[in-house]
Amino acid sequence: MSNKINTIGIPSEEEIKKAQIDFSPRCTAAGRVNDKETQKMVEYILNFARKHSLFVLAYGTGCGAIEIPATMTSRYDAERFGIRGAATPRQADVLLITGYLSTKTLKRVIRVYEQMQDPKYVIAFGSCTINGGMYFDSYNTIKALDRYLPVDVYIAGCMPRPESVIKGFIKLQELIQNGNAGNGECYRDNLDWYRTNQQKIIKNWDFPDEYNW
Amino acid sequence: MDLIHNLKEVFEIDAKIKNDFQIEVEAKKELVSSILLYLKNQHGFIHLDHMSCVDWIEDEVFELVYIVWNPNTKKTVLLHTKIDRNKPEMENIDTIWDQANTYEREFREMYGIEFPGLVAEREFILEGWTEMPPMRRDFDTKKYAEETYATRPGRENAEDVREKIIKRTGEEIPDFAKKYSRD
Amino acid sequence: MTREKETTLYLGPQHPGITGNMMIKLKVSGDTVVSAETHLGYLHRAFEKLIERRNWLQSFTILCRFCVPEPDPIELSYALAVEKLEGRAVPERADYIRTIVAELARIQSFLLWYGGQSGSGGLYTLGQWSVGDRNYILDLFEDLTGARIYHMFMWPGGVRRDLPEGWVDKAYRTMDYLEKRLDDYNKLLFDNAIFQKRAQGVGIIPKDKALEWGVVGPPLRGTGIKHDVRIDEPYAAYDKIDFEVPTYEGGDVWARALVRRDEIKQSINIIRQALDNMPGGSYYNRIPNPMKWTVPAGNAWAKTESVRGEIGFYLVSDGSNKPRRAHLRGAAYAHGISVLEKILPGENIADVSFILNSLGVCPPEMER
Repeated sequence: MSNKINTIGIPSEEEIKKAQIDFSPRCTAAGRVNDKETQKMVEYILNFARKHSLFVLAYGTGCGAIEIPATMTSRYDAERFGIRGAATPRQADVLLITGYLSTKTLKRVIRVYEQMQDPKYVIAFGSCTINGGMYFDSYNTIKALDRYLPVDVYIAGCMPRPESVIKGFIKLQELIQNGNAGNGECYRDNLDWYRTNQQKIIKNWDFPDEYNW
Repeated sequence: MDLIHNLKEVFEIDAKIKNDFQIEVEAKKELVSSILLYLKNQHGFIHLDHMSCVDWIEDEVFELVYIVWNPNTKKTVLLHTKIDRNKPEMENIDTIWDQANTYEREFREMYGIEFPGLVAEREFILEGWTEMPPMRRDFDTKKYAEETYATRPGRENAEDVREKIIKRTGEEIPDFAKKYSRD
Repeated sequence: MTREKETTLYLGPQHPGITGNMMIKLKVSGDTVVSAETHLGYLHRAFEKLIERRNWLQSFTILCRFCVPEPDPIELSYALAVEKLEGRAVPERADYIRTIVAELARIQSFLLWYGGQSGSGGLYTLGQWSVGDRNYILDLFEDLTGARIYHMFMWPGGVRRDLPEGWVDKAYRTMDYLEKRLDDYNKLLFDNAIFQKRAQGVGIIPKDKALEWGVVGPPLRGTGIKHDVRIDEPYAAYDKIDFEVPTYEGGDVWARALVRRDEIKQSINIIRQALDNMPGGSYYNRIPNPMKWTVPAGNAWAKTESVRGEIGFYLVSDGSNKPRRAHLRGAAYAHGISVLEKILPGENIADVSFILNSLGVCPPEMER
């Protein structure tokens, strides 16, 4: 099996690792453990409160938005985990990217993400946010979301069932409790790297130079 | 049939019956708007169902298709016309049907066909697009996507990477998934 | 004399009242809309370009994603167009299964519409009920096709699978349950004074202009014009089934809601009849090896009736193993742009998303 792969010109493990370091998002979970012993009590309590009150921005960016009504309503009832909708970016905690992003939407999504208040989390939904999925050859959709925005949790599938959506949210809750989620600060620190990537594909760039909203 | 006979008499074009509900007509580009007006006013084809465009790059033509429908006789007419691909220009028909405006905007953006007299913003679906109109056959969408967008390393092609993931993470392939292996 | 100031208001792309990822640029004076302009392109994935790169069967992965709330009529239109091009016969059993799947898709989309229409009017209870009950239909789909939303089930030459064991009983039970629930929904929506006041006389489409404007589906039947592709140009098994097409006069949101209310009952009726009269035999007229499968050159225009109106496919083949051109006529293509821009001026801002929901505007099929 491994011999066969090498003969058809697939990059070796080392090459992939090297490419991944160059490619990979600057903001990833650091693997902290936030329990009562290692963290300040106040952070532990804050994180506990945050994880049980996730306000999701009502922005259906792609086709995955069709499973959101099902997740939020009576059978799956996501509200029992504290997940509910929010109308505006400034009141929201979670940005749910429901599927592929066209370049035109990506511009709006970046703007929305930057308007959200810390702590803010991003859940990417569907195969197309991970590696382009079935839109791998489309001229208008991005192929890997974490080049342009820091992502906390990916939910695979096309489209993910409500069960997997809820599983994704529970994973996010775990990360929040451990203090590993929320990359708003990291995004600001690495703004240059993200801006370079974003400007590469957004042709009519008219954002303000300063990141001050 | 009445309609076929009339079209032959007025415009000297041959219509042929495609199936029970559809009649197909091919006409020169100059005649299109008068045929459509004639169909709408004289024969009750008041509903513009669809407009389409096909790129025949080998013959260097764009084929435009107008599909109109008659609510009384339940018949559909498909009107085909061909325009030069190197200097694509077509008469604007949004004075006959308002919704043709939307189709024409789309063709202008996606195929680069000009409609003189079309009042609308040039940007419709794309934003900041500088390449050739993307729906043309000679626009290579895969090449453009590979050059423009970053793909995830190790996932450039459709190769089955489950073995690699297993090696890296120590996960097991469940039995039900094994039979879908590509090897 | 005072002249009121005009303000520009952007409804969307991020807005809780919008029916998808699109934007409507409103010019408002006070609370009244002066002009509206639809902006698209947020969901453009170049599907028609991608279909030109896929072979005939591979395009089905793309087809169902054209319009997410109801992918099945789109698959069916495409399958019908391919069958017209090729002259491929469809077994009778497949026709009946197709009818059932298309009607189930209509019902689930209607239930989603209940949630959208009442939610945009501020009545949230109904959405919890109807979208929750929609899962029972999605369960039926899952048993039959393997997926909740994207089925890729109706292929050229028939359907992909036969009805599984016990499915028919389950379908009967689900229909009985839904029929009981419909009364509850209708009490909650149509007896509600808020909905009555907000829906009557809002978003009027004039009867004499409707066909010329390109209005189709329930909005057209809400103006009193009886047009339904299922009756006018019957496909699948609709010509062997007895059903009615409800129409109401008025052309406002209220009339469109009444049309939809009656159509769910008709859909349940159609499914029952199709299940009763289900013939035996083969469900699939097998196609050759999909990688080598070529379709004779020519063009075809096929349309089906979806919840939002007729969905058509203009399909061109050049005789190769890939479609030359596949152009979708989405039901919302006229509704969402030219019709909307005509009927919104003069309405209240708060009614905009109300009207959007009643027209069934679905952005992904407008820009594809």
